[in-house]
Amino acid sequence: MKLYEFTLKFTLPDTNQDAANYIAALAQAGCDDALIGIGQPGRIALQFSREADTAFTAITSAIKDVKTAIPQAKLTEATPDLVGLSDIADLLGFSRQNMRKLMLNHTQSFPAPLHSGSSSIWHLAKVLNWFSQQQNKTIAPEIAEVAQVTMQVNIARALSELQPGSQQEFMHIQEELAQYR
Amino acid sequence: MPRNKHPKKDIEDVLQYAELQGWVIEVGGSHAWGRIYCPYNNKSCRCGEFCIASIWSTPKNPANHARQIKRVVDNCTALKNANFED
Repeated sequence: MKLYEFTLKFTLPDTNQDAANYIAALAQAGCDDALIGIGQPGRIALQFSREADTAFTAITSAIKDVKTAIPQAKLTEATPDLVGLSDIADLLGFSRQNMRKLMLNHTQSFPAPLHSGSSSIWHLAKVLNWFSQQQNKTIAPEIAEVAQVTMQVNIARALSELQPGSQQEFMHIQEELAQYR
Repeated sequence: MPRNKHPKKDIEDVLQYAELQGWVIEVGGSHAWGRIYCPYNNKSCRCGEFCIASIWSTPKNPANHARQIKRVVDNCTALKNANFED
């Protein structure tokens, strides 16, 4: 068994309802290995430290447990996945300036951001991959594993938000993109 | 009157650490030991959900729970900025 650390964020069915009402149900469903954040009305976040054989088992069982406790809760994000420069620096123990320098010195090989703009974001999984392959940096296997699964969860969630009826267009786009890979 | 201590030493230690950073600790409430409140829980804060966190009295693993609490306290962006300006 390994220890996996990740956070799941959900929106609650009733924004007026105090998230505290769900604490008992969450304990009963087995979420007593998570710290529960209730600082935003209509939202709940659970920071899990879950023992499991794989990150996939840890994260999918955690989602299931929350859904058991709060059936109408909607998953909005699994973290750590989408990260900015400061997040990457924090995670790997660099200063933000050093991280920036490292990225600018390797513009060819550094993963392209998911979004570039005044502040860019990356999928953590890709950044960790780059560090272990291009920089020979040792990355804790649990973190690398979690980042892969949180990315899958967030992409699956985004897919489920596609307009009904647009699936065909979406598949067409996928085919188009695959041609140029 | 001093607040009640958390029965698990690991957690009590980190709660005292949180108090030193200005967090407010409220004992009681239903089904949990209590709650911690960020001192900077205002509009400019970006931490969001974990500005108020629920503390278990009997978490699955007290040492892990203590680490989770410490992470929330250390990650508070308002506190980070405050330290940065010093």
